[in-house]
Amino acid sequence: MSPTILVVEDEPEIRHFLRSSLRAEGYRVVESPNGRRGEVDAGMHKPDLAIVDLGLPDFDGIQVIRRIREWSTMPIIVLSARIQERSKIDALDSGADDYITKPFGVGELLARVRVALRHAAQPPAGKELAFGDVTINFDARRATKGSDEIHLTAIEFRLLACLAKHLGMVVTHRQLLQEVWGPTHAEDTHYLRVYMKQLRDKLEPDPVRPRYLLTETGLGYRLLADE
Amino acid sequence: MGYAWAAGATITATLVALGLDAYFHVVNVALVYLIAVVLVALRYGRGPVVGVSVLNVAAFNFFFIPPRGTFHVDDPQYLLTLAMMLAVGLIVSGLTERVRARARAQADLAIEAETERVRSALLASISHDLRTPLAVITGSASTLAERGERLPPEERASLAQSIFQQAREMSELVTKVLQMTRLETGAMKLERDWGSLNEIAGAVLRRLRDRLATHMVMVDLPEDLPLVRMDAGLVEQVLANLLENAARHTPPRTLIRLRAQVQGGELVVSVEDFGPGLPEGDLERIFKKFHRGAGLGLAICRAIIELHKGRIWAERLPGVGTAFRFTLPLESPPALPAEALAQ
Repeated sequence: MSPTILVVEDEPEIRHFLRSSLRAEGYRVVESPNGRRGEVDAGMHKPDLAIVDLGLPDFDGIQVIRRIREWSTMPIIVLSARIQERSKIDALDSGADDYITKPFGVGELLARVRVALRHAAQPPAGKELAFGDVTINFDARRATKGSDEIHLTAIEFRLLACLAKHLGMVVTHRQLLQEVWGPTHAEDTHYLRVYMKQLRDKLEPDPVRPRYLLTETGLGYRLLADE
Repeated sequence: MGYAWAAGATITATLVALGLDAYFHVVNVALVYLIAVVLVALRYGRGPVVGVSVLNVAAFNFFFIPPRGTFHVDDPQYLLTLAMMLAVGLIVSGLTERVRARARAQADLAIEAETERVRSALLASISHDLRTPLAVITGSASTLAERGERLPPEERASLAQSIFQQAREMSELVTKVLQMTRLETGAMKLERDWGSLNEIAGAVLRRLRDRLATHMVMVDLPEDLPLVRMDAGLVEQVLANLLENAARHTPPRTLIRLRAQVQGGELVVSVEDFGPGLPEGDLERIFKKFHRGAGLGLAICRAIIELHKGRIWAERLPGVGTAFRFTLPLESPPALPAEALAQ
């Protein structure tokens, strides 16, 4: 059965092109014109993924995300305007998996939707991860690059595991810091700068132009397996 | 402050007058006090001038009008001298006050005119920059809507593509205008955090890889650049702007070099191109809003860097090419967890 996508967006013109492009890809589309409806539709239709606009007329899109997160792990992608940097971070910290900034091309959005759906269908087992010529085995705590064994520290493994858990999607600074170093270090972004550099130096083919361990400036990081 | 100067002026005038007293008639000596009044009037408003006038009259009376050493006046002639001194002081203060008010009004007018000029230049430029994409979008979209079925598919696709591209450009311009407004009105607040220039550079090069594909981009960043307290999103924008400008204003396959180094407590970041170079006179002008060709981009870059207490400028490279450089002040970064230090 084709996946169902919930679109919570108040602008009819935006819903219009989202509907036509998502249907053209073979998805079923449920549309909600406001937050209240969105919550109800999420419970009623049990969609496989939700696209939520952050600038809803009745209440904040972030609230919709929190409500959905109370009972579901369905992937959520937020639509945000350029001036909503802050609420974008809040949305991601509240449980959204990815974002896209308006105005956007549909190609970008569909790519995000595909990654999120694939991820939801087969959550990474947390054991093996491969990208480029790198393979990581989290259970055995082993990393290889080509035929070379790479030494990774305990923290580096944890950081990679956290990124791998959300493979292809954004993980915010706060999420990474809390998960790897604990809640008392939620503001210590400089830790991340140092450790991400170490990881890139060890794993990226060209650390200056990373292909896998990507920076989402001001937001967090994204681990991209092969494109 | 003005009153302190008034008192100082009276004391100075009295000392000078005492020096002249032996050689000149008392009435001439009084003129020294008038100089004190004028000098104070040149710098300060009515209050201090009235103050110095009154003090002068008192000092002159006390030191020079017989009987000396008292405030008593024997000869009624001197009453006229005192009255004249006071009157001249007051008139001078009125005059200078009026001149000053007029100068202020003129300066305000000049600022208003300049703001108005900038605003209309801005509007003219924006509407010019919007008109072309709007014409393309309207034309292409109506062609598709009204004649679409008669066109071959590849023609339809290319019309749709150009709508897409022009709309993108419009949206970028609108974003820039909004941002410039926010920077100018002080509504933009820096979200500062410890960031890495290497990281920002990596993100920018990835985001711009299509636009920079026509050029050769060389990255020369030291491995051990220190972390910088900055608004990474905004600095990324500066870097993107400089790289895009370099690609836009130089012929394809020109070498563009991104460099950074630590110099005297600052991080100096450079985007150098080996293109035809800028005329000397343009090096400063291009940072002005809506200088031809540069649009708003460089004005925004300057505003962002200045918010960070850094500097940004352009210089000609010896031989050919242009370098755009900006600085970011360095602070000592916070401590790292033990594991990182052990490595």
